[in-house]
Amino acid sequence: MNDKVSQKIVDIIQNYARQHSLWVLAYGTGCGAIEIPPTMTSRYDAERLGVRGAATPRQADVLLITGYLTTKTLKRVIRVYEQMQDPKYVIGFGSCTINGGMYFDSYNTIKALDRYLPVDVYINGCMPRPEAVLKGFAKLQKLIQAGKADGSKKYKENLDWYRANQKEVIPVWRMPEFNW
Amino acid sequence: MKELKKNITRKITSHFSDAAVKEYEGNRVDFTVKKETIPAILFYLKDEMGYNHLSHISCVDWIEEKAFEVIFILWSYSDHLKVFIHTRVDRENPVMDNIDMIWPQANTYEREIKEMYGIQFEGLEAPEEFLLEDWEDMPPMRRDFDTHAYAMKTFWDRQDARKDAQDVRETITRRTGEELPDVAKKYSR
Repeated sequence: MNDKVSQKIVDIIQNYARQHSLWVLAYGTGCGAIEIPPTMTSRYDAERLGVRGAATPRQADVLLITGYLTTKTLKRVIRVYEQMQDPKYVIGFGSCTINGGMYFDSYNTIKALDRYLPVDVYINGCMPRPEAVLKGFAKLQKLIQAGKADGSKKYKENLDWYRANQKEVIPVWRMPEFNW
Repeated sequence: MKELKKNITRKITSHFSDAAVKEYEGNRVDFTVKKETIPAILFYLKDEMGYNHLSHISCVDWIEEKAFEVIFILWSYSDHLKVFIHTRVDRENPVMDNIDMIWPQANTYEREIKEMYGIQFEGLEAPEEFLLEDWEDMPPMRRDFDTHAYAMKTFWDRQDARKDAQDVRETITRRTGEELPDVAKKYSR
């Protein structure tokens, strides 16, 4: 058995383990955070899919951006994302993260989250119902299984592009350049 | 209730000559005064009349009349009566008295109004920034601030993302054979 084949077998086992243990950071940025309690608790019970809440960024795998992101919150979200350890995934939640949604003409919310953070899965809707959230998680699990959820790799490779976009909306940069 | 309203109207108009009264249905009385009278009338209402709860300080931008309207909303626990105190501040030079020695919580409202409308409260002791961080444009809640133009200038826009939302109403009317009302035509994209 050569290295390539053994690596493939390791990847399959690794991805299988990763997709059934998604720890979601309990951090609500916008109004969509209200859909998370019914998703997590007994009615829809996301835990049967292996989706659970984590208390700190360093223990979490998934960063849910629940709804609109103000430029003020974007600073905190960037800090949080860069603190998370690999493997890490981002789910954009609601139409605000896709094209600005109803805040498309607001003076302090960003449109198009994927300019600033690498998004693996988008869930549309305003707000998406818990069923849609579960479907988004199922989609993320499929991507992980196929080895296609490589947002954090893209972020490291294209860090200059992401940083330039982030600094466009955050003119006064008081954060360190590298957090990991 | 009518007795109470008549009583407070009589007392305020006899003490403050510039107070104009406007009556509403229910438990609400409005007074409009000059901005110099604001600390005096608030002190009077709190100490003499028992209106010791400041519910809110609000602000309206009357751009056509070149004025900001600042509104103080007070509540009395004994009378169960709301009192609104309106005042006008010049839009070119928006300066008025700070009242956070009467109610400490007024400090928070004044900081917000200062940041969102640019009204200066004389003697307000507060940090420079409150809700906005590193803001350099004009105060964003003023009506001559064009939020749409600012958002287009500042934030990257996904240009083709709204294409599918364009003809929803026309599509629905075509499907059902209904006539589109004029109001809908005006706002239809």
